[in-house]
Amino acid sequence: MKHSGKIKSKEIISIALSKGRLFEEVLKLFKNVNIELIDSKIGSRKLVLQDREKNFQFFLLKPVDVPTYVEYGVADVGIAGRDVLLESKADIHLPLDLKIGRCSMVVAGISGTAKEDYRELSAVRIATKYPRITTEYFTQRGVPVEIIYLSGSVELAPVLGLAERIVDLVSTGQTLADNGLQIIEKICDISACLVVNRASYQIKHRAITGLIELLEKSSPSIKS
Amino acid sequence: MKTLTQVPVGTQVFFGNAAKHRRRVEKLIYTVLKRWNYQEIIPPIFDYYDVFSRGMGSESEATLYRFFDREGNLLALRPEFTSLIAKTVATRLLDWPKPLRLCYSGDVFRYEAPRGGRQREFFQLGIENIGGKKVSCDAEVIQIAMESLQRIGIKEFQFNLGEMGFFSGLIKKIGISTVDLKHIKNLMELKDSIGLAGRMKQLNLSTKNKNVLYSLLNLTGKSKVISSARHLVTNEQSMIALENLESLYNKLKRQKLSKHLTIDLSGVRGLDYYTGIVFKIYVPGSGFEVGSGGRYDNLLKNFGCDLPSVGFTFYLERLMPFFLK
Repeated sequence: MKHSGKIKSKEIISIALSKGRLFEEVLKLFKNVNIELIDSKIGSRKLVLQDREKNFQFFLLKPVDVPTYVEYGVADVGIAGRDVLLESKADIHLPLDLKIGRCSMVVAGISGTAKEDYRELSAVRIATKYPRITTEYFTQRGVPVEIIYLSGSVELAPVLGLAERIVDLVSTGQTLADNGLQIIEKICDISACLVVNRASYQIKHRAITGLIELLEKSSPSIKS
Repeated sequence: MKTLTQVPVGTQVFFGNAAKHRRRVEKLIYTVLKRWNYQEIIPPIFDYYDVFSRGMGSESEATLYRFFDREGNLLALRPEFTSLIAKTVATRLLDWPKPLRLCYSGDVFRYEAPRGGRQREFFQLGIENIGGKKVSCDAEVIQIAMESLQRIGIKEFQFNLGEMGFFSGLIKKIGISTVDLKHIKNLMELKDSIGLAGRMKQLNLSTKNKNVLYSLLNLTGKSKVISSARHLVTNEQSMIALENLESLYNKLKRQKLSKHLTIDLSGVRGLDYYTGIVFKIYVPGSGFEVGSGGRYDNLLKNFGCDLPSVGFTFYLERLMPFFLK
């Protein structure tokens, strides 16, 4: 599978990636379609990379910054978890689910607490890294919430009594279990998505749809 | 109390070259508009709230700057020009010969988080073509927008065309509640296939209809899109919309402008008053649209007069970085 036929050489596409949990899997996806990044070793400090055939330019960013770079058109395309995208509410296209980095966004609380009991409280205190997703989910259900924004170790909040619930990402559930927590509700499935700047989608339409088609073939099929 | 030297969020000051270049761009575009015989109209900066709220749709309505006068009337700062011009045409200019060709420029106000190159006060420059023939006026308006860009030295640009009637016809046939429709429109606009799948799971739709909505996401590209869209729909409104789109495309193609066109039938968001052709204008490197426009055949009815109309507007602040570049 060669991509060089489909993508015009003068139209370089810039792609925002994050060096977080997704990075290795994303590299594999690109490798499957003969897009090989130079100098992509984990130890490298380089923030701008290229592929061997110089059709693409890659920016390595913090995951939460990927939608911003794409919304402003500094990067034409980006790859980010759906959690980051939902939280950012950036006005960008999400044409492709890459089906990697799969996990869930859940509401969790101390093991043994009943599912419905937050409905009896006048307001629920929820600790999370995702204030927007949390507010939207609970207000749609008519439950008033007090959001406590944390930037890490969210699982500690219910244990220490800072909050009654947390909203966070869960893949195996091990961290929750280790801290005496359990899933109460699933909010949605999360996986990595390809996002595209609105202007780039029109201006570099052929090159970008070419890339989407390639990656669509290369991404794993859903097993469920 | 805040100190007098602080600046309210979403406002800007222009001076030096920035001020000079803004005037220059405005002047250059006006020379194009004058040549096409568009006459300037200068509407008020505020009017009754209802003038603006009717055509905008509830989401945009929330962005209006509202206030009361001393008699207790609800007023609003203009968030765009089209409603004001529609009102004026329907009342004061009723007996002027049609089509009316009008142009305008000035600041508009929207209470939005400053994001994506737009402030709370920003400058629009545009035209309205009221009471003329459908496809030929659509083509005229697009051609003028293209010429204006060329006049200020922007040679590369892309006009992304859609047709509101295509989606409206489809939705009427399928039957979706207004609340669900709002979500679906938004997901369509983002081309969010996963979000759309999730939302449709909650709706009582036939598999066939779900598939049709799903395939809309792929209806982007060149003129081939129109023929693929024909296989998806049978209702009259959508078919007429596709016919309009095709004849507009062909008209512009004859003017050798089709290289600047892409078609996107899943672009369905926008002010509620749009009824037919809609378009967004992109410049390489801009990240956001630098202008937009469309056909609004029902807006003048709000003011008691029924005239088909089409227009476009540029967002001056977003154009400026590409002037002299």
